[in-house]
Amino acid sequence: MKRINKVYVMLALMILMFTMKSNAQIVKAEIRATGLTCSMCSNAINKQLKALPEVISVETDLNTNTFTVTLKEVNELNPKVFKEKVEKAGFFIGSLVVTAKSETITKSPYILVGKNSGTGSEVQFQVVDKGYVTDKEFKKVSKSYKDIATYLADNEDDFHIKILN
Amino acid sequence: MRIIVCLLFLIANISITTAQVKVGDMIPSIPLQSNGNSEVNISSFKGKYILIDFWASWCGPCRLGNKKLVKLHNEVSSSKIEIIGISIDTDANKWLKAIERDKIKFTQLIDPKGFEANAALLFGVDELPAKYLFNPEGILIAKNPTEEEIIKLIKD
Repeated sequence: MKRINKVYVMLALMILMFTMKSNAQIVKAEIRATGLTCSMCSNAINKQLKALPEVISVETDLNTNTFTVTLKEVNELNPKVFKEKVEKAGFFIGSLVVTAKSETITKSPYILVGKNSGTGSEVQFQVVDKGYVTDKEFKKVSKSYKDIATYLADNEDDFHIKILN
Repeated sequence: MRIIVCLLFLIANISITTAQVKVGDMIPSIPLQSNGNSEVNISSFKGKYILIDFWASWCGPCRLGNKKLVKLHNEVSSSKIEIIGISIDTDANKWLKAIERDKIKFTQLIDPKGFEANAALLFGVDELPAKYLFNPEGILIAKNPTEEEIIKLIKD
């Protein structure tokens, strides 16, 4: 009997752990890639993204040059992964819009700039750090965020985000 | 167990390497739909040089490349070389419109599945445009040759 109880407790703990995790993660990432050559003309970005075990599917929109990446229910990915993969393919991120469970952004490494989030269960945000927007856009936004010390510090492990929904 | 793993690894490796046409390889037999709504096999043109050009209507560099290919098509005799465009457009209408707009008169085929298209996978196309030049025996002699190189190669 005692052993069964132990098993139940373990199971309950495991379920709890997974549900806690699933409340704090990225669901979808929309990546617009830029570069010197036509980013959609290369299969490299697609391949790099699909090689991630957390990725369910990668869809491309040829009109907007956007790769939409759908992720598995349980994952611990953060925006840096997408930047690394796109750059490994020889391109750059022009914009990165992430859909995540609302809880995700209440924790570090996310730092909110601009208005607060809505009340939905999912939040959509754009990463505005250097390397996640075009150079032109970065020059523009770094002026408006000049009072945010962490933004200027340009630490690659924290992410300044602008809520879109 | 270890042997099985090694074997699997070997098989995986072989299937990866064979999924790519290399210089010296024979032109694969791939039947595809043409813009004239007939089925054309790319290997059926053996006996003259064959230039295969992978492209798509949405690929800017390819559309520029089409202009050069149209020029090449006008300059060299079609008894000497067959130019074949293979589009990986998923939307056939866009493909047909692009053919019209770029004034392409050479053979046009479509494998409408993007980079997942069977022909693209067989050739190992990872980037557009991608060109493959086969000699009259059907053997690949050059990847991504320039128009000048093509003219020189088929003269020799």
